[in-house]
Amino acid sequence: MTAHAAETPWVGSKGDGGPALRVRGLRSGYGESDVLHGVSLSVEPRTIYAILGKNGMGKTTLLKTIMGFLLPRSGRVELLGYDVTRWPTYRLVRHGVSYVPQEKSIFQDLSVGDNLRLALPKSSDFHSRFEAVAARFPVLKERFQQRAGTLSGGEQKMLLIARALLARPRLLLVDEISEGLQPLMVWRLREILAEERGRTGLTIVLVEQNVDFALALADHYAVLKLGTIVEAGRVSDAGTREAVEQHLVI
Amino acid sequence: MTPAPELTAAGHLPRTVRWRGLAFALSGCTAAYLAGPFVLGTFGQQILSQAFFYAIVVVTVDLLWGHTGILTFGQSAFFGIGAYAIAITRAYYSSGIPVTALALIGAMVVAALVGIAVGWLSFWDRASPIYVAVVTLALPVVFTQVILSGHAFTGSSSGLPFPVPDISIEQWYWISGGLLLLIGAAAYVFVKSDAGRLLVAIRENEERCRYLGLKTSRIKTGLMAVCGAVAALAGACYAMFANVAAPAYGDFVFGTQLVVWTALGGRGTLIGPILGTVFINYVSAVLGGNFPFVWLLLVGLIFIVVVVYLPAGLAPPVFSGALRLGRIVADALGVARVRAVASEAPESIGRDRFSVVVRPEPAGTPVLHGGSQVALELRGVSKHYGSLRALEDVTFRAHRGEVVGIVGPNGAGKTTLLRCISDGRERSAGEVIINGARIGRLPPQDGVAFGLGRKFQAPSVFEALTVGDCLRVARSYRATPSFWRRSRALELPEAAQRTIEATGLAALIDEPAGTLPHGMKQALELAMVLALEPAVLLLDEPTAGLTSTERAAIGAVLTGLAQSHGLCILVIEHDLDFVRNISSRLVVLHLGRIVADGPVSQIVGSEVVRQVYVGGGTVT
Repeated sequence: MTAHAAETPWVGSKGDGGPALRVRGLRSGYGESDVLHGVSLSVEPRTIYAILGKNGMGKTTLLKTIMGFLLPRSGRVELLGYDVTRWPTYRLVRHGVSYVPQEKSIFQDLSVGDNLRLALPKSSDFHSRFEAVAARFPVLKERFQQRAGTLSGGEQKMLLIARALLARPRLLLVDEISEGLQPLMVWRLREILAEERGRTGLTIVLVEQNVDFALALADHYAVLKLGTIVEAGRVSDAGTREAVEQHLVI
Repeated sequence: MTPAPELTAAGHLPRTVRWRGLAFALSGCTAAYLAGPFVLGTFGQQILSQAFFYAIVVVTVDLLWGHTGILTFGQSAFFGIGAYAIAITRAYYSSGIPVTALALIGAMVVAALVGIAVGWLSFWDRASPIYVAVVTLALPVVFTQVILSGHAFTGSSSGLPFPVPDISIEQWYWISGGLLLLIGAAAYVFVKSDAGRLLVAIRENEERCRYLGLKTSRIKTGLMAVCGAVAALAGACYAMFANVAAPAYGDFVFGTQLVVWTALGGRGTLIGPILGTVFINYVSAVLGGNFPFVWLLLVGLIFIVVVVYLPAGLAPPVFSGALRLGRIVADALGVARVRAVASEAPESIGRDRFSVVVRPEPAGTPVLHGGSQVALELRGVSKHYGSLRALEDVTFRAHRGEVVGIVGPNGAGKTTLLRCISDGRERSAGEVIINGARIGRLPPQDGVAFGLGRKFQAPSVFEALTVGDCLRVARSYRATPSFWRRSRALELPEAAQRTIEATGLAALIDEPAGTLPHGMKQALELAMVLALEPAVLLLDEPTAGLTSTERAAIGAVLTGLAQSHGLCILVIEHDLDFVRNISSRLVVLHLGRIVADGPVSQIVGSEVVRQVYVGGGTVT
């Protein structure tokens, strides 16, 4: 099923406190240029939602606006039914939202360990949590003492993901997570995210260029084009792939 | 390719309007300057003359700090050098005009040499920007100490009076103002020229500049020398105007004031710092006499307010405010002309300025037919970080016309390998030979001469420059930029041009590179490297963040280049399908060593690749 979802979002079954993330009529942009022209979507708890689209269509801008890095021109952002529009980023993070940006925003001069410790305000439970994460990214345990800037590009990406997971978020926003990772790692990452969702009830919003990766992982998807959602639905519905690809080619 | 309209939507209107605004502002200033002597008394002219001399030094601070990003506290020292050179010459040797002229030239030469010394101390390849701030902070301190220890010869702390030429205050007003106009105009022409654009490129991303073959340390040192000489000229004239050379002309307080005035006026705008300096000096002289302490407090408050609320300085908001006012007035008077011109202009200007010209092939371009000449040879290349071995004895050859894919797990040493090829200082051991020439320990800016071009893993462009200007900077290694002209056409080799067309960048040529989405920045950087016309191309995940259509287009450009120009391409890429499409050969790195090397068809399916790289059955 494909729905034209520019203003009428896909709405699933009613959760206890509303959807994990709900965006309504979001408009945003940089300086004089508008990038998002009224985006609406709704993500149910414990689901994975993939946002697809070509370059320059506003995918990263959407995540940045949700995260409070950009102020929306109009529209609403809700978490579990609570209005969090215009909340500062740190407040969102304290309420269980984690963000993995596309650029490798790690602290280059800190050790891998210190980069990870920064994810937790209290360090008392760091070690038990770290062991759980290290089991998934063994390379980070090997390089625990090493300066993070000396990690390779792909390893830095893993550090970012590990840091986000360490905070045990309720909602995880990830931007182009598969870029720069070896195929084996992309495969494992899919398992890690799926497992994490099953274990902690995490809700995930993915922005992806890698359609295979996104569709293998996600329950729902939306395609952004020129700042509006032009296609949305369940991944399990027939014809999803074709519907997505038709927007990515031209 | 359809470009994203949200990016093209930002009109060119502000640019033309801004030009008109600047023209108005400039003619207003000139009119005010010419009217000065008729309106102002001797006191006013004297204060303004002083301010004009200061403003000349502020122009050099703005060139160094505002445009190039070199924070300097030491321009006062050059000013002092000029002042004392004239004072000592006229006080002890001769006060004739020829000797004074010689002293003036001598002062500028000495200042330029000191500038070169400062550059040599501060701009070595891996120096952080802090070095130049520290060195230029020390310079005025050293200067003051030298003057103070000169006792009677330099006049020590009380300054050195000397016989001055007989020039009236009004004449000084014309001299100082004329000099400021001349130097301000020269600086303006320079920063708007093709060469001036390099300064912004250096400020934005010096590493990228080096990898584009630009010797940034030399450029910065040269700029430091010229700015030092200009400051010395201003200092020398100022000493004759003030009848005395005092240690305060070259001290640290004055050096810091220059930076403050530049920041207040609006750094990087030239006109802002000039007007800011003139305004602050004039008002503080007028008010400072009547309310000395209150005025200092007021200046301090203004500075804090500007730093907090107007980080770009006073010039931009004042100009746009004036412009808006002008437009309102024009509307009220029913002048439709302004609007008509503004709406017609952008089209023609936009097209005229950024017409992309495909560079004709040079006559002697060698076209290769399945040649087997070795383009790149690595012998025992190793890289150790302490006990960590990132690369261990990597040896292989790549031929002209060959596209070699480099694959391997994250952390295998792929990026390190490209860095060790392009930057001789990075290698712990081993040799790199390009087209028969050993490149030894040469830094990247020299590697470009051998035909090396490298694209970084994270997109690395000049965020404050437009797409077109980024490409022009990339071309400046091939075509020496002019110091006074701004070229209208953008001349690109065919490959770079095809890359910007295939990815839709051509339509975004007037957009600042910083506003581009991630994938577009990747494409832009690739086009910039291709604009160098390299013989050996090193690409680190060139298409990450691009759609499959765009990938295919870039892949076609690359394979085409390899075939038609005999280009040797090394490409790191995780997308095995992409690698398979463009490359003939795969090198597999694991833990810093080559574990497999051969034709793509053999390697992709091999057991070793499956084990170290692909894992459970994703690629067959």
